[in-house]
Amino acid sequence: MAPFVKPSEAELERRRTIQINDETVTNISSTDFPGHYPGEDNSWSFETFKNTFRVEHHYLTPAESSFSLIGADAAIANALRRILISEIPTLAIETVYVYNNTSVIQDEVLCHRLGLIPFTGSKKGIREFLRWRRKAEDGTPGPVYDYNTVQLRLQVECTRNPSAAPDEREPTKLYHHAHVYARDIEFVPAGRQADLFQAPEDIIRPVNPDILVAKLRPGQVIDLQMHMHKGVGADHAKFSPVATASYRLLPTITITRPILGRDADKFARCFPRGVIALERVSAAEANTPGSGYEGHEGEKKAVVADPMKDTVSRECLRHPEFEGKVKLGRRRDHFIFSIESTGQWDSDELLLEAIKTMKKKCERLEKQVINMVR
Amino acid sequence: MSREAYQVPTGSQAANPAAVGKSFDAYGGGAAEVGPQMQYLCGDCGLKFQMRRGDAIRCKECGCRILYKERTKRMVQFEAR
Ligand SMILES: [Zn+2]
Repeated sequence: MAPFVKPSEAELERRRTIQINDETVTNISSTDFPGHYPGEDNSWSFETFKNTFRVEHHYLTPAESSFSLIGADAAIANALRRILISEIPTLAIETVYVYNNTSVIQDEVLCHRLGLIPFTGSKKGIREFLRWRRKAEDGTPGPVYDYNTVQLRLQVECTRNPSAAPDEREPTKLYHHAHVYARDIEFVPAGRQADLFQAPEDIIRPVNPDILVAKLRPGQVIDLQMHMHKGVGADHAKFSPVATASYRLLPTITITRPILGRDADKFARCFPRGVIALERVSAAEANTPGSGYEGHEGEKKAVVADPMKDTVSRECLRHPEFEGKVKLGRRRDHFIFSIESTGQWDSDELLLEAIKTMKKKCERLEKQVINMVR
Repeated sequence: MSREAYQVPTGSQAANPAAVGKSFDAYGGGAAEVGPQMQYLCGDCGLKFQMRRGDAIRCKECGCRILYKERTKRMVQFEAR
């Protein structure tokens, strides 16, 4: 068999760039699979992946993180994104027992709002002690124990504030409990939960205590109990551990011919701040024949400073003075992830948990494939 | 069922045995007195008061003729979805 052909670096660059033209997006499908280019070896190899795959961290806070996966296929990046959104378990309010609700907000709407409030508490308690609530054999919800249910209570009554100023108009000053906030929800420990979820660090509590749940007027009452269970985002969005987990491809901007003087200013204004920088044409550049800078020494020229900040608005393609001078694109294998946590997990834990989940799923699939060929 | 056997449902506390913790003013008192008695809310001034059968349908404070019944204290279960 003839030895494999190696494509040139320029050809590889062309293959991994998605072209963004003024009205179309082309070269969108990846072609790095065996048999697409005759004579090339495009079979997947773990060694090559290990050597080329990189992760770059951009910023990290408990609530939000951003990082790049470089050298992975879209299938891997998208699998991670989908696992983040819908397969990492969290604890959320699932059943509400309403004893009284004389507020203007209907029972159904109130319960729906309660379900969407993100809660947090002892990580060990939520992840290791709390388990799924199993279904009974006939498919009905199974029994409730301290290891699969967390009980909460919300009891608020609105009353007049006798010490309010006579000309007061502000309801929150005129009445007590005119606003019901997420912080008014109390944790009711059952069994071993009293030891596991202790105030103030480990108690089950809303992540954002200032979420407005309902508004009340004097004489109105909300009295209800809630049961929390573990669930996944695939079942209901309230169980999703992320507010959003998304990725975008790294934008590329290639200036093919010099953009100088006033045009350079205009070009920089076509992009978000920081994407394009302005530099002076150096003497060496001006003295190089064929560079396009001849006789322009000291003039301003546009250079690409940070394409990651670009939103790919394509504004620069609308102006005739930049025609044929710039090429926009996106790097096919560079995924800029952004994970925003709802608070039960830290954003960095989420990525690790997603990878763990994906690994588990792959192991399950591997077993099935082995069974299939047996 | 004869007319005499029929009992007007009372808004008493017995309907809410699972309620725990504090009790609210808004719940009003029970029907401790003899005979069917209901809690009513005035549509005008918001006063809560009890009325018996045969009483004039009027607020005891302001005389308003529009009265509301209180919500039942029976538990209602919802899914938070
Ligand atoms: Zn009245």
